Amino acid sequence: MLVLTRGGYALPGTSTDFKTGTWRTSRPQHQHWAAPCHSACPAGEDAQAYIAQVQENHPREAWETIVTVNPLPSVTGRICPHPCEQACNRGSFDTPLAIHSIERFLGDEARRQGWTYPVDPGRGAGAAVAVVGAGPAGLSAAYHLRRRGYQVTLFDALPEAGGLLRSAIPINRLPRDVLDADITRILGLGIEFRGRTRLGVDVHIDELRSDYRALFLAPGTAKAKAWSVDGAVPTDHRTALELLQEWVAAGSLPTPQSVILHGGGNTALDLCRAMKRAGVKEVHLVTASGLPGPGTEPDDIINVVPRELNQAVEEGITIHPHRTIQRLLFRGSKVVGVEMVALRKLPTKSGRTGRIAFEGTETLLHADMVIPAIGENVEPTGFSTLLGGKEYFRPNNPFGRLDHTPGVFVGGDARGDRGTVSAAIGDGRLAAIAIDAYIRQGDDPEENGRDTIDFAHINLNYFEPAPRVEEPILPVAERTDTAEIDGPLSGAAITREAARCFSCGNCLACDNCWTFCPDNAVIKTTALAKDGSHYVFDYEYCKGCGVCASECPCGYIVMNPE
Amino acid sequence: MTTTDDTAVETSVDTTTDIAARKAALRNRLKDKRGSNEAPARAGTAFSIAELREHQPAFRGLEAGHRACQGCGEALGARLVAESAGPDVILTNATGCLEIFTSPWPQSAWRVPWIHSLFENSAAIAAGVEAAMKHLGKSTKVIAQGGDGGTFDIGFQALSGMLERMHNVLYVCYDNEAYMNTGVQRSGSTPHAAATTTSPAGLERMGKRHLKKDLLSIIAAHHIPYAASASVAYPVDLRRKVRRAMEVEGPTFLQVHCPCPLGWGHESSVTVEVARLAVQTGLFPLVEFERGEVAGVMPLRNPKPVTDYLKLQNRFRHLFSNDPRAREEREHLQALADHTIEKFNLRGEEADPLDSEGADTVRRGGLVA
Repeated sequence: MLVLTRGGYALPGTSTDFKTGTWRTSRPQHQHWAAPCHSACPAGEDAQAYIAQVQENHPREAWETIVTVNPLPSVTGRICPHPCEQACNRGSFDTPLAIHSIERFLGDEARRQGWTYPVDPGRGAGAAVAVVGAGPAGLSAAYHLRRRGYQVTLFDALPEAGGLLRSAIPINRLPRDVLDADITRILGLGIEFRGRTRLGVDVHIDELRSDYRALFLAPGTAKAKAWSVDGAVPTDHRTALELLQEWVAAGSLPTPQSVILHGGGNTALDLCRAMKRAGVKEVHLVTASGLPGPGTEPDDIINVVPRELNQAVEEGITIHPHRTIQRLLFRGSKVVGVEMVALRKLPTKSGRTGRIAFEGTETLLHADMVIPAIGENVEPTGFSTLLGGKEYFRPNNPFGRLDHTPGVFVGGDARGDRGTVSAAIGDGRLAAIAIDAYIRQGDDPEENGRDTIDFAHINLNYFEPAPRVEEPILPVAERTDTAEIDGPLSGAAITREAARCFSCGNCLACDNCWTFCPDNAVIKTTALAKDGSHYVFDYEYCKGCGVCASECPCGYIVMNPE
Repeated sequence: MTTTDDTAVETSVDTTTDIAARKAALRNRLKDKRGSNEAPARAGTAFSIAELREHQPAFRGLEAGHRACQGCGEALGARLVAESAGPDVILTNATGCLEIFTSPWPQSAWRVPWIHSLFENSAAIAAGVEAAMKHLGKSTKVIAQGGDGGTFDIGFQALSGMLERMHNVLYVCYDNEAYMNTGVQRSGSTPHAAATTTSPAGLERMGKRHLKKDLLSIIAAHHIPYAASASVAYPVDLRRKVRRAMEVEGPTFLQVHCPCPLGWGHESSVTVEVARLAVQTGLFPLVEFERGEVAGVMPLRNPKPVTDYLKLQNRFRHLFSNDPRAREEREHLQALADHTIEKFNLRGEEADPLDSEGADTVRRGGLVA
């Protein structure tokens, strides 16, 4: 009540009777953007969200945040090329956050502490769904379907689940006890695993379609792409994947004096390193991609885990970037080398990117063996009708739904437009969401519509440069085929690293808006702030000056016209 | 939101002559003002913002609803000072923006005892209040407040006398570098080359001819226990200085740099940014004096060019014209900044968590330091 005092005095705090909010022409509002790390993650992880929980010293909640999208953080923390770190806004300030280290730590900590997946499979007997292929995509789909209460049967041709994680990733990059423990924990959620069951041989797709309400196919790619140079192939022709799988399973490798690998992925790089360690003196990698560096466009960089590339160079692998093999050199029927030529990926007349070789840049490289590592297609056995003679399934939607075959979904490498474990895990999750919608006859799930926040929105005044933690790496001389090369980090180092996060586009609870408001129009509260921040705007008094928006370190406050 | 007593549009005339009744009314308004961060326990219903306002984890000496312009640096400065100094404090106020916008009769934005008399005598009134408190045997601290006009120029004699008599008073000068309340006239604090309505930029001159008065050194020369400069851009530093000044026995002085969007001609949203650049360029050094000697400075990690600061403000707009004098004055201001940096040895040797880059670092859960 407005009290007119008799004398020259006023009661304390009575100015609140006057609502200065009427002066406002634009209002501050919280805007939860997608952090660049989140947008860049093929698996769909929101690194900003779980790093915030690590900052709050809630590692278990952080792990639970990850495993609501990715059940295998200790795997991806080790082997993913972490595009999140390439996108990290901190990279434009000093160095990107070591997101992979935090992810790996949380995954390992979950195993050490025996944290159980936040899954309640007791939601009754849901419909039965079959998943074919127990690689990362299949495991992810099975896990996400199980989370939604479905009865899941997971088929694989091999006796154990894991797919390429088990058959082709070197043990020194992914220790098998880590993989085994995580897979056991996932299957332990009530997923029925049927190993040694090959589609088209032991079980047929029509049977599955009649026995199960829906089907998720993630067979991967097992059939090497046809490779020849102008029609010529070496007499001892073996593909890199074949050799790598043999080495992982049996530990044996051919050891010529010198070898040339042709390709630019992790398979090629892993085999290079294994052969070098096995005693091959000269290992060359010929790749059409470029090496990371100032002059290389991001989509032209060789698609391998960056620290693996550094380690490979340390170990003495010679890399020939922006080169391709134009001709094989034979002495009699034996390959003795190749003719390389420089090339670039450039836009062509049709508008698409093409590989242009440059005449006059030919060079010879001698070697005893040439191994292609140019990728694989889907092995069509069991799928030939679905594939219709094509190399991949190529569904036209992110959920992997095959329009011509209702109830059948595809994900992972078999899609034909994927290439990482994380992408496969993302496919599994999206397919599970779509299968759920299909079985419930609901609408297609909506995709995350949040815009990605860019570097310009971060107020750098409020952050200090700080060095990035680096995991301990075994010296070259001590590296073997079995011991893990990248060591673990301590909890203290992880906490320190997490503290570097800019919290892009989300509330940091730093108090800046509350501290800097000249009008006391920011109220600190956890009771009312339902958007996950710790503050609400009191629009009765907010004059709309915009100081809070300018001084928010994270770009979380935006001014919108009234 | 439900209508509370605070929002009801009713008016009555207070005819109470009974002092006891008035005190009771006061007590009702002040009850439980120092609440915790936790909202009051009440099941089932949501809390209104007005209720949460009463349960903030910091004391609010200056309440919302005051009539300061959008983005007012002085309102921010006064809020931070009152927050750190209260609630056991009595404030006096010289005439000026702060006095006007916080006390539109019959309302007051203050939640501590506050008195205004004249432009020139804030320090004298504070000295009297302090003497009265002493006589009553109370330890309540007294703060005198004034703008730069009421401190550098009009109230300077009273201030000097208060310091000389060693009253236990903290004097806070909210320095926005001109007479803003009356329409942006130059004061002794207006920096060289700034345009005001009485030092306009034109054919004759490039803004103010004279230099900004080095008031802090004059104050320090009174040999008082503590005198410091602070900025609204560094609230942690500002709060620390207020608390330090409050606990010192004897006269203390704080000069708080407060941008004025209207008078300086910058966007209301960049108030803090402008204040920060004043510090980071070396134009407004953050220093502490004890007994006349420099006792501490905020080092500058990477001093920025003064043009970074000047170009945000219309009062320096003429310095970016093609006039050759503009270049000269820009260089002059840079030389003044360089001189200040050298004089106080502001250039930090290495990254320091309390330097101009580190002192505002944030982390989850609040400001560092």
